[in-house]
Amino acid sequence: MTVYIQSVGMTKFGKAENSTLKDLMLQAAHEALQKAPGMKIDAVYVGNFMGGSLANQEILGAIVANDLGLGYIPTAKLEGACASGGIALRQGVLGILSGEYENVLVVGAEKMKHASTADVTQVINSAMDRDTSEKHAGLTFPGFFGVLANRYFYETGASKEHLAMIALKNRENALNNPLAQFQKPTTLEEILQARHITSPLGLFDCSPTTDGAAAVVLTSKPTDIKVLASSQASGPTMMQDAIDLLSIPAIRISGEQAYAKAGVGPEDIDVVEIHDCFSMTEMLAIEELGFYPKREGWRAIAEGKTKVTGEKPVNTSGGLLSRGHPIGATGIAQIVQLVHQLRGTAPNQMAKQPRLALAQNLGGTGAYSVVHILERV
Amino acid sequence: MKVYECCDIESVTKKIYCRECGQEITNEREVPDKGNVYSYTVIHVPPAEYAHLAPYTVALIELHNSNVKLTVRIAGEVEIGDEVELDEFVDGAYVYKKTS
Ligand SMILES: [Zn+2]
Repeated sequence: MTVYIQSVGMTKFGKAENSTLKDLMLQAAHEALQKAPGMKIDAVYVGNFMGGSLANQEILGAIVANDLGLGYIPTAKLEGACASGGIALRQGVLGILSGEYENVLVVGAEKMKHASTADVTQVINSAMDRDTSEKHAGLTFPGFFGVLANRYFYETGASKEHLAMIALKNRENALNNPLAQFQKPTTLEEILQARHITSPLGLFDCSPTTDGAAAVVLTSKPTDIKVLASSQASGPTMMQDAIDLLSIPAIRISGEQAYAKAGVGPEDIDVVEIHDCFSMTEMLAIEELGFYPKREGWRAIAEGKTKVTGEKPVNTSGGLLSRGHPIGATGIAQIVQLVHQLRGTAPNQMAKQPRLALAQNLGGTGAYSVVHILERV
Repeated sequence: MKVYECCDIESVTKKIYCRECGQEITNEREVPDKGNVYSYTVIHVPPAEYAHLAPYTVALIELHNSNVKLTVRIAGEVEIGDEVELDEFVDGAYVYKKTS
């Protein structure tokens, strides 16, 4: 059994003042279904993290099936913090691989912009283990990546400027993506001088709060895009449990498993969407996924190797940092961009149309990681 | 401070099984509260419940005579390598200070 991608859909990311969480889900799903004419959907999986706590809305799977008129089919919502979308996608893939379903609709969505930063930060903190002295010390989600960044600077030749280069690259990519949240140009100086969030991380090093949704239709019927591998791993839920603070084992292991299943290596991948919830996370992810040696990622950044024009384009969509990060939608939005890259229709389309694409979606401070590898066939 | 050990993996939090050998973890020992700053951040944008503390420093401490790390809050500025010691335990948090 092989799983293919039929179609994708995505809303504009940003502030959707006049749309509810349901509106966003339905818009993305409708667009994907319009490009899957005559296809009977057998199941729906929704990736979402804070629908209950911020939008006071659950039963998202059933709402999607009901309002689209898909019939009495099985549905479910999957939660894995910021990896909710990737995990929902993987459940869809597994559902087809099992032989139970032929066609599955996967939707990722989040509605966050209506809440205050303090409230969003508080809810996002539920993606850490709260039953620990670490939580009571006041560590936050961005704080974890701030601690990592200071240690990374200490052990390597990297500095805040290398993180700024990542933020700038992703902003430049977002300028060409009409669905991206941030489309205002910036400069290295502006990024470096922005206010502190969790030092050394500043405003531009942190992904924003975002409203948005994305959808994908998976099928067992052959199309031009094959899902070559789907893998998932868990990791430490506390910073104080890290054996190597500069390693995120869930990313490394989910990557290794995906490469093994696909029968390819990191050197074979043409285009990448990585979970840059913070600039520091992109730095570690390009190392953990084997694109660059450990503690050497900053050199590749400085040499422009991960730009659209580089040898290993990373986050040609603008990434979480500038495309935006509607938490449950992110893992699906990565797939939307990669499908467009493989089909030759992407914002920041690569000059040489890629054949192999990799998406990596992270949840928590390394609690979950999901990797999918797609192939144009 | 009490730490739990199996297969050379030490932690301040007790896991039920050892992820290396699969056995129940039974080894525990005391290590000094003192340690060195392994890394840190200054939190300028806090969650609602810690808004009154901001900006505050959270650090990862490497405790002496072990490879155990502990996440703590520290009063004032620190650098990696600074020697620190337990000041107080407040509302479930370890609060450290620089050793003078
Ligand atoms: Zn053991």
